[in-house]
Amino acid sequence: MKRELKLFLGPNHPGMHGNFSVHLYVDGDIVEKARPLPGMLHRGFEKLMERRLWMNNLALIPRICVPEPDINEMVYAMGIETLAKIEVPERAHWIRMLILEMARVAIHMMSFGGIGGPTGLYTGPNWAISDRDLILDIFEAITGARIYHMYIVPGGVRKDLPDGIEKKIEKLMDDIERRLPEYEDLILRNPVMEKRLKAAAPLSAEVCWELGVTGIGLRSTTGEPYDIRKVEPYARYDQVEFDVPVHKGVSYAYDRLSMKFEEIKQSIRIIRQVLDKMPKEGPIRAKISRGSALRWRVPKGQVYSHVESSRGDYGYFIVSDGENKPYRIAVRGASYPQGLLGIEKYLPGTRLEDVAIWLDTMGVCSPEIDR
Amino acid sequence: MNSMNDIINDLKNKFNPINVDVVNERQFAIDVENEELHTILAYLKAQGWRQLTLLTCIDWIKENKFQLVYIIYNWENPITINVRTKIERDNPKFRTIVSIYPGAEFYERDVHEFFGVEFEGNERSTKPLFLELWDDIPPLRKDFDPLAYSKKKFDVRDYKVDFIPKEGEAE
Repeated sequence: MKRELKLFLGPNHPGMHGNFSVHLYVDGDIVEKARPLPGMLHRGFEKLMERRLWMNNLALIPRICVPEPDINEMVYAMGIETLAKIEVPERAHWIRMLILEMARVAIHMMSFGGIGGPTGLYTGPNWAISDRDLILDIFEAITGARIYHMYIVPGGVRKDLPDGIEKKIEKLMDDIERRLPEYEDLILRNPVMEKRLKAAAPLSAEVCWELGVTGIGLRSTTGEPYDIRKVEPYARYDQVEFDVPVHKGVSYAYDRLSMKFEEIKQSIRIIRQVLDKMPKEGPIRAKISRGSALRWRVPKGQVYSHVESSRGDYGYFIVSDGENKPYRIAVRGASYPQGLLGIEKYLPGTRLEDVAIWLDTMGVCSPEIDR
Repeated sequence: MNSMNDIINDLKNKFNPINVDVVNERQFAIDVENEELHTILAYLKAQGWRQLTLLTCIDWIKENKFQLVYIIYNWENPITINVRTKIERDNPKFRTIVSIYPGAEFYERDVHEFFGVEFEGNERSTKPLFLELWDDIPPLRKDFDPLAYSKKKFDVRDYKVDFIPKEGEAE
């Protein structure tokens, strides 16, 4: 008689950002059924946002995705700017790009090293987290905070870059670039990793379209540069050169991981161009009734503003009824499709040890799912 | 059919939208009747809007209506379309779109859990997902009062302060 065995993966697991549980029904070490169980860290962000002033929300939203907080600030600011028709100064656009790309390097570092969690290669996270920390040092110098920057605000950025930070960023990017071949040796060319990842957690283009998967998942199967920075440039992404890494056919965990590695290189390329092309001075924030944030109102309307996060299309649907608080904000977490439906539909049939690899290389960030 | 105006005109010719709002040069919202929503979504999907970005709901409590918003995206011609429809707030029910966009399955569960809208045809739309052991009205409705709920649900706790600040330390 066959016995069904139910296993709990999570709520805490080294392969996962945040608390997220998956119930697995296994036969031997093959997954027969998988049920995602979010709700472990439900903090009710959407309700909280309705009860705070437009400006107060700036302190709340970076917490929605802790490893990459800046995209939340960006989509929120972009949405309000569309509704209130605010013109962002030129220099602010470039500073925003600088921040967003550094954030992308930081999170890719984290997840590139993070594959060490599910595979047991702990040198990876040790190296990656320490290099990521150097980027956080730069953030601290610019914004005063390491993780929750609250730096990108409606109308521009909160304050100007400190003197001499450009030199420091340049040096850090050179250092990281010099380290990349070592990462490649440690992780991508590691025979154990190749064996573990090359046939693990397959994903096909049809599945991506069916689920609504975006980002690396979509680009690694369709062979098309489906990146919002390319197809619908925001800030000044249309004025910098960069390539979007793609891969055609069924993508495996290894393909997705190596694309993250390529994206780190491209982000460094963008950062260098930003430092080169950025206007050296000028206003950094449009005037929007400063000093009266309590009374500040956003005109009536609805907008979906979105950017390319490290995990795909990430956006806020913002509804304003003309009052001093948002009427409704819905968060579109990039990891929603691959984190819920993907787990349930496409984990059955894989081996037990590949479950965490799926979660990691698909970039499932649980706070985005249960906001 | 590339520019946004062409798309809007095409939709106006083929369907009977109640209203079209242009948000910016790459995004517009279209309000349709309940009956027409599925046809328009299927039509747009065939035209290249292959990705369901988000399905969400807005509680217009003064009108006593829920507004369902289906946000779809086309990667080839990057235009976001927000297809919207309003349903009654009392005993809210709507037909599922899982057959058009299978990815909607979990969004519908999400909307059911937070607003109480039941999606007919989605067998699991009423199954709890996030809020374990929830025993009040759906929490994202405007008439849900979080403060009253926490007062009802949790006892008032006395906090004992056992830290006595020394001179010069913050309290």
